[in-house]
Amino acid sequence: MNVTPLKTEYALDFGIEVRTTNHRGFTPEEVAERCADRILSVSDEAPAAIRDQAYAFRKKLVKLLEFYMREAIKSDRTTVFNALNDAGHPDLAELIRRL
Amino acid sequence: MAFTGNFMCTSFKKELMFGAHDFAAAGDTFKMALYTSSATLDASTTAYSATNEVSGTGYSSGGQDLTSVDPATSGTTAYGDFADETWTTATITARGALIYNSTPNTTSIALTNPSVVVLDFGSDKTSTAGDFTVVFPTADASTAIIRIA
Repeated sequence: MNVTPLKTEYALDFGIEVRTTNHRGFTPEEVAERCADRILSVSDEAPAAIRDQAYAFRKKLVKLLEFYMREAIKSDRTTVFNALNDAGHPDLAELIRRL
Repeated sequence: MAFTGNFMCTSFKKELMFGAHDFAAAGDTFKMALYTSSATLDASTTAYSATNEVSGTGYSSGGQDLTSVDPATSGTTAYGDFADETWTTATITARGALIYNSTPNTTSIALTNPSVVVLDFGSDKTSTAGDFTVVFPTADASTAIIRIA
């Protein structure tokens, strides 16, 4: 009796990507795009109608992710503002608040 | 000699049969170390080494812990995944990376930081006082970083 051999595979086609920034961090838009890619992948071979719907959904998803990422950033700045203020650095806290 | 492509390390395949690697989210600690173009990592790499490892602001020797995602299946294929990994406020240049297991199960085989996968970025990648992020492929049966079909 023949048994199909165990076959281990990996992303030979450079499925890995490296993304870098200089003198800044990633923007909410950039992170949202990356997040959407992890949530939803659309096959080029999918029927056109399904593919179009998937892309439309992805576009809405990115906008939603962007919005909540900005909310998280704003909320975190409030936390940092208060931490700096409590530590006796009101000027620095104000700089963070104005970002 | 520089990087020559992506490789699943041969020693890793053997170690799977010894039950040395636990990819569960709460399993072993897998790390990613970054390397310069001078590194010679390939399928014969058996363990992490600091030789030709990246150095610079925002990078510590040995690399960073990866966040494992519980392995899953689709059809007859099982696959594993990691969350994207970011070095923040980093000034570094890397040509490739090594994923290795810093807490393998050594019940049946003696191991120290055994290698899993060698990643070739294709060219030098640089961040200057910025973020350096390695983005893993979509986790499914045809694209996930590690698949057993």
